[in-house]
Amino acid sequence: MTQYSREDTKPLFAELRRRGDPQIREELAKLHLPLVEYLAKRFKDRGEPLDDLIQVGSVGLLKAIDRFDLDRGVEFSTYATPTIVGELKRYFRDKGWAVRVPRRLQELSLRLNKIVAQLTQDLGRSPTVSEIAKSAGVSEEEVLEALESGQAYSTTSLDAPSGDDEDAPNRVDRIGEDDFRLDNLEYFASLAPLIEKLPERERKILYLRFFRGMTQSKIAEQVGISQMHVSRLLTRILEFLRQGMEGDAEY
Amino acid sequence: MEDDRDVTPETVTVRVPPTASYLAVLRTAVGGFAARDHFTLDQVDDLRMAVDEAAVQLLRHASGERLDMDVTATEAGIEVRLHTAVDSDEPVIDESSFSWTILRALADDIQVETIANRATVVLSKHRIVIVHDADPA
Repeated sequence: MTQYSREDTKPLFAELRRRGDPQIREELAKLHLPLVEYLAKRFKDRGEPLDDLIQVGSVGLLKAIDRFDLDRGVEFSTYATPTIVGELKRYFRDKGWAVRVPRRLQELSLRLNKIVAQLTQDLGRSPTVSEIAKSAGVSEEEVLEALESGQAYSTTSLDAPSGDDEDAPNRVDRIGEDDFRLDNLEYFASLAPLIEKLPERERKILYLRFFRGMTQSKIAEQVGISQMHVSRLLTRILEFLRQGMEGDAEY
Repeated sequence: MEDDRDVTPETVTVRVPPTASYLAVLRTAVGGFAARDHFTLDQVDDLRMAVDEAAVQLLRHASGERLDMDVTATEAGIEVRLHTAVDSDEPVIDESSFSWTILRALADDIQVETIANRATVVLSKHRIVIVHDADPA
């Protein structure tokens, strides 16, 4: 394996533009990860785990890699910085995360995530708030508070793919039996082009929930993510479809 | 008075301006209500999404100053009645639309009607029966 250094940025870009090799793209992303880390740290006192911020910033980095034009004669890092920072800012701005969620609630929210998963498994269905409260040893009010804050701050899914890019590294879960039928969805002609824009996993979730009537918990199990995450993705998908029908939208 | 329907003591009413920025208030209200009423998290989310979808459709047609949501606990579960003033009597949600499909998946029962320039969408969701002490062990 060739070891590249940041000095190789320009030749790598030239190579990427010539051959479109996804491995080169990844190489470039790896080389500039320190830039993402550096920029992500500037946001770390806002109550989000640094790892998550780095993931978000990486999405920006990939966008910058895809858009960077060698002929412009600027350094890639100069070009990429505003894109990465933009992505981080968007992350905080999205869905009202103007309200800072106290650390206590964030921690409870994370803990509840695990409890919900466990209870779902034990009960064979999604739990109620009182069941969660009992299991967590906190009041129902606290559970509600944490759930609501969870909804508020994590709407921008951390492992959401970047755009319609097939090779985005943060696609965590490729689904096995991909060949589910979308005929029903495509029946809605206006939706077809929008659904095309959705990543495969999101399409599958959309289909399972609305055309197969599968519960969120079941989908979570099938797709291998948490129920809360399914919930967030569904909300986001519907929002995207709605905007898309109105005009332009980017998932 | 444009709306004098019976509102029982079991009803929570939320009244917002008919703009998209208030959808979150409706979602949160219905979510809080359902969660306290022993719905499962899945169902709570379903209701939130259903309210969102129904409200969006109502907003497209709204001509008045507000959008009302009455949430009532019923014996079977929960009934959410969203209503607003409209200009015409055309249905706010067409049964062949994607919206309808979404709502059908999220709610157990949907009614859409427009009478005397007031469009109403009623969503019902049944509580699942939780059997306690049903531990197979």
